[in-house]
Amino acid sequence: MRKYLLLVLALVLVVSFTAVGFAQEKTEITVAAGSVGKELELTQQAAQMYMEEHPDVKINVLSTPDLTNDRLGLYLQFLEAESAKVDVYQVDVIWPGDLGQHFIDLNKYGAEEVTDNHFQEIVQNNTVEGRLVAIPWFTDAGLLYYRTDLLEKYNREVPQTWTELEETAKYIMEQERAAGNPDFYGYVWQGNAYEGLTCDALEWGFSNGGGTIVSPDKEITINNEKAIEAIDMAAGWVGGISPTGVTGMAEEDARKMWEAGNALFMRNWPYAYTLGNADTSQIKGKFDVAPLPAGDSGSSAATLGGWNLSVSKYSEHPEVAADVALFMAGKKGQKMRAIEGSFNPTIKSLYQDEEVLEAVPFFGKLYEVFTNAVARPSTATAPNYNQASEIFFQGVHSVLTGESDASTAVQYMELDLKDLLGYEIGEPRQP
Amino acid sequence: MAKKGMSELAKEEQKLAVKLLIPTFIILLVIALYPLGQVFYTSFTNRTFAGTGTTEFIGLDNYQKLLSFSIKELPPVVDEETGKVKIDEETGKKVFQSPIQVLPRQPELYRPVYSFNFFGSKYVVGAVTPDFIRAVFNTIIFTIFSVLIETILGLGIALVVNSEFKGRGMMRAVMLVPWAVITVVSAKMWEWMFQPTRAGLFNMLLDKFGIGTGNFSFLTNLSLQMPAIIAVDVWKTTPFMALLLLAGLQLIPQELYEAAEVDGASKIRQFFTITLPLLKPSVAVALIFRTLDSLRVFDVFQVLLAQKRYSMASFNYFQLISARQMGMASAIGVIIFILIFFFALSYMKALGVDTE
Repeated sequence: MRKYLLLVLALVLVVSFTAVGFAQEKTEITVAAGSVGKELELTQQAAQMYMEEHPDVKINVLSTPDLTNDRLGLYLQFLEAESAKVDVYQVDVIWPGDLGQHFIDLNKYGAEEVTDNHFQEIVQNNTVEGRLVAIPWFTDAGLLYYRTDLLEKYNREVPQTWTELEETAKYIMEQERAAGNPDFYGYVWQGNAYEGLTCDALEWGFSNGGGTIVSPDKEITINNEKAIEAIDMAAGWVGGISPTGVTGMAEEDARKMWEAGNALFMRNWPYAYTLGNADTSQIKGKFDVAPLPAGDSGSSAATLGGWNLSVSKYSEHPEVAADVALFMAGKKGQKMRAIEGSFNPTIKSLYQDEEVLEAVPFFGKLYEVFTNAVARPSTATAPNYNQASEIFFQGVHSVLTGESDASTAVQYMELDLKDLLGYEIGEPRQP
Repeated sequence: MAKKGMSELAKEEQKLAVKLLIPTFIILLVIALYPLGQVFYTSFTNRTFAGTGTTEFIGLDNYQKLLSFSIKELPPVVDEETGKVKIDEETGKKVFQSPIQVLPRQPELYRPVYSFNFFGSKYVVGAVTPDFIRAVFNTIIFTIFSVLIETILGLGIALVVNSEFKGRGMMRAVMLVPWAVITVVSAKMWEWMFQPTRAGLFNMLLDKFGIGTGNFSFLTNLSLQMPAIIAVDVWKTTPFMALLLLAGLQLIPQELYEAAEVDGASKIRQFFTITLPLLKPSVAVALIFRTLDSLRVFDVFQVLLAQKRYSMASFNYFQLISARQMGMASAIGVIIFILIFFFALSYMKALGVDTE
């Protein structure tokens, strides 16, 4: 019995040592990436492309939570532990200011040569104290998705203002319900209490002349008539043209309802375009995108979103990891993602690329929307953006659920932001 | 246990016992006491989670922020023209000033948690961190209702599966399925069933019975959130309760029932005079288990309600992860610890769980 035990032990030792030996032959790089819609699949595909060119590198793709707040939570745990387990992080456009100190300066690893090809605002956003802490990967802007077939059937135009959107949505919703679809709604968007609501509410407010919560020159501007009006307007949609459950919806919930053919309009990011045209979608070929409606300011506003790649300072192979990040965010990687997943490139020349434009025609048409997108006040509030945003979305959410009225909510937002940031009160920035 | 009367052998044995206990103590020290001490220490600082800045010692500030509240009377609004108290024309009730004008703003901003009427005057309870006060309330309500319902249902199920019938073994195994499912997974399943459209099971069923229009929003409607969460927990943990009570039932000797039968006691009488008193220790253990467990509830709240409504533990999580206030989060951890400790003690006292 004892002999066998020794034998087994010896075997275990041999096996574990050879396993270590094998692992050392290849450099392993772990990329923490999102998995909203087709994201994960495309990241794996990009990793495959890189591995074919570099057989000595093995890339693992780590799937991370859908909600950006949850994803941040996971990242913070890795960063607090100074963990080498993840080498490359997919980071939100609002994080470089908050998390920059944990990432390496990509300019030192050859990013300097390529940054000129990218959108300058994003490169600027990702540069913290002269260090490029993240390379732009894809950009996002809020878009209005609309059903071409239904607008045509009821002879309506694509809405240019929020009031038009309300009218059209109400009319068509009533008609469609009378025609036998009781689950049909006019407008779906992101109303859950999370970062996505900050994006949506910023669009209502800014397009209505209500400013950007905190202005770029560090003044708190949220407490104004126009912002209150915008939040009230949205609260009026809940239970009317939007389902009551919209206050619990994130991107993917809205997309599912939209793809089931149960919504006339949807506010979402560009990624939903390719997915909506997939075979599993009920509305394949029956929709298009437009800029979001305008409010009292007379112009439309789209929140700037998007994701970047950063390399952890705690990585064991920073050179290889930086190379992987630059490859994925390079022209080849971004082109593949644009064609197969309608992820907006951050490389300017790709917007003239014929193959890209054929796959996603709206990239050319809405180029202006992407370049003029309004940024969330992440730079003005760094390193407290996350808390500032929470104050904002919790306040807006309490109005949407009817817990509070808009004017009280913005008064509290103002007081809380003042406590958090210590900035003065100012006039809202106009588009 | 007089020391004088102890034999050499007994002394030797005691020494051995101490030696054998040392490893356990060391492990406990490393894995329990050290982190606990760390949390206590951090709770007195303003440390940022995953930050690289410096940490300062700030004393009891975190606790003060979490626990301070004040009750103020809301003065009625006086009409400037007439000098009389303003009356709402529609409801015919007095109009009071809004809490934002009444609650103190310095040195900390107090926000309304709850308002109530008392002898015609209106009062408001304000707190510096209203979300935490609400989280404590949510957790306590959740605990009371879920544990109560689980105990009643669990007892019923235990009595059924304790009786003789065909396929009893099978039934006992099947009963445990909800408890075996990982909470996050089952919470996700419930989330789908709670969908605010007819795609969700509950809305579909309610619609079939003609209740509502198929858009009950269980997870965002403030008055439906708690019942929904409690339902999930009851579904999941009743089997565990039943299992604990079943073990207790099996300890009761059959002879007692036979004797009662001979004496002509009815089944109900038997239940109240034999089953229940003899089951008391098992019920006590089960109650302690479940109450302490429910007070720490995190997963169902995090998955189903996230930042819409907090339990103590999920508020703690969001303070740490989202707001990155590690000092504050540690203080919340300490408060939860003390609260649970207090609950455990009072349970032991009330239910007379013997220490010997």
